[in-house]
Amino acid sequence: MAKTIMVVDDSASLRQVVGIALKGAGYDVIEARDGVDALSKCTGPKINLVVCDVNMPNMDGITFVKQFKQLANYKFTPVIMLTTESQESKKEEGKAAGAKAWVVKPFKPEVLLGAVAKLVLP
Amino acid sequence: MNTQGSKLVVTLGLAVAGALGTVVAGWSAWGWYTVAWAVLLLGVAAWSVRERGFGAGSAGSDTMIESYLESRARFGDTVIPVWTRHIENSRAQMEEAVSDLATRFSSIVDKLDNAVHSSDLAGGAGGSAMTDVFAHSERQLGSVVASMKSAMASKHAMLAQIKDLERFTRELRGMAEGVASIAAQTNLLALNAAIEAARAGPAGRGFAVVAQEVRMLSGRSAETGKEISHRVNLISSAILAASQAAEQSSEAEDKSMQSAEGMIEAVLSEFRQMTDALAASSALLKQESIGIQGEVGEALVQLQFQDRVSQVMSHVRQNMERLPPLLRENRDLYVAAGQLAPLDPEPLMRELQKTYAMAEEHAVHSGARLAAPAAAAEDDITFF
Repeated sequence: MAKTIMVVDDSASLRQVVGIALKGAGYDVIEARDGVDALSKCTGPKINLVVCDVNMPNMDGITFVKQFKQLANYKFTPVIMLTTESQESKKEEGKAAGAKAWVVKPFKPEVLLGAVAKLVLP
Repeated sequence: MNTQGSKLVVTLGLAVAGALGTVVAGWSAWGWYTVAWAVLLLGVAAWSVRERGFGAGSAGSDTMIESYLESRARFGDTVIPVWTRHIENSRAQMEEAVSDLATRFSSIVDKLDNAVHSSDLAGGAGGSAMTDVFAHSERQLGSVVASMKSAMASKHAMLAQIKDLERFTRELRGMAEGVASIAAQTNLLALNAAIEAARAGPAGRGFAVVAQEVRMLSGRSAETGKEISHRVNLISSAILAASQAAEQSSEAEDKSMQSAEGMIEAVLSEFRQMTDALAASSALLKQESIGIQGEVGEALVQLQFQDRVSQVMSHVRQNMERLPPLLRENRDLYVAAGQLAPLDPEPLMRELQKTYAMAEEHAVHSGARLAAPAAAAEDDITFF
C-alpha cells in the first residue's frame, strides 16, 4: 500500500512540483495551502510524512510543526522543512519545533526523494 | 500664523533690534567696526529667515510647502498602489501560469508513465510477456502440427496394410488358378481312368463309377475354383479401388498438411516479427522514458524559481506599500508641528531586509548581481 505524504506550501506551483516528484516515486499526496489548512486535514488517512514550507500566510511552517507534533496521532510523524530560508537561526527554530530535516529550495527531485525515503514511516 | 512662524518673527525682530541698538550705542566709539557688527547681525537674521522661511517663513511659503508635501503624498497614494497592483497581478498571473504548467506537466508525466506501464504489460518488462505468449502459441500450434502428422502417419500405415491386402488377393487368385488347374488335371485323370475301366470290361465297372465320381468332383472343384477366382477378383477390385481412394486422399491430406504447416510457420513468423518489433518499441520507449525522467527532474528544478521570484516580488510589493503612509506621515508632521523632516530611506530598507528569506535577496540588496542559485545537492540537506 502506497504511503501518504502531506505537502504544505502556499505556492500552488510548488505543491504541484513536489507532488509530481512524490507521485512519480509511488507516494500518495495530500496538499495543503498553509498551516491551518494542513491541520484541518490531519484527521483523514494516516500521514506517513509531511513536507512543509516555512513562510506561509495564516500559519507559518514552524508554528504548524509545533501544533502538528501536539496531535497524538502524529507525534512521531516526521516533517521535512522545504524552504527558501537558509539561515541557521531558522533551521534551529525548525529543529526545536520538531522537524527532522531541512531542504533548501530549489531542490532536485532525487534529493528530496532521498530524504523522504530515509525518514518516511513504515 | 502657526507657532513656527511666530518664532521666526521673534527671532527676526530680536536680530534687527540688536543690530539697531548696536549701531546707536557703538557708532561713536567703534565707528565702522560697529557698523560691520550690525551688518553681521542683520545677515544672521536674514540667514535665519532664509533657513526657516523656505518652510514657514511666510503664509505663502507655508502654503507652498504644504502643497508640495500634499502633492508628494498624493503622488505616493496614486502611483504606488498602481505599481503594486501591477506587481501583484503579474506575480499572481505568473503563479497561476506556472501552476497550470505544472499541472499539465504532471498530466504529461502521468500519461508517459501509463504508456510505459501499458507497454510493459504488452511487451513485458524486457518484452517477456509478449514473448511468453508467443512461445505458448508456438508450442500449442507445434502440438497441433505434431498431432496432424501423427494422424497422417497412421493413414500411411493403413494404406500400406491395404496394399498388403492387394498382395494377398493376388496370392488368393493364384491359389484359385491352382485349384482350377488341379481340377482340370483331375478331370483328365478321371477320363483316362474311365477309358481304362471300359477296356477292363465288367471287371472295371466299379472303377468306372469311381472315375465318374472323380470327374464330377473335379468338375465341382473347377467350378469352386472359378467362383473363388471371381470372388477374389471382386475383392481385389474393391481393395484396389479403396487403396487408390486412400492414396488420393493421403496425397491431398499430405498437401493440406504441408500447406497448413507452411501457413502456421508464416503466421508464427509474422507474429515473431511483430513481437520483436513490439519488444524493440517497448525497450525504446523505456529508454526514452528514462531520458524524459531526467528532463522532468531538471524541469521540476526550473519550475521552483517561480516560487523564489514570487517571494521576492511579494517582499518588494509589501515594502512599496509602506511608502505612501510614510509620505503622508511626513506631511502630517509638518502640518501638525511645522517640522519639515527629511525622508529617511533606512527604516524602509530595514523593513525590507527583515522580510528577506533568501541569501540572494540580501546579496542583491547589497548591490550584487547574482545568477540563479543551483538546486540543493544531497549534502545540502540538514538532518536533525
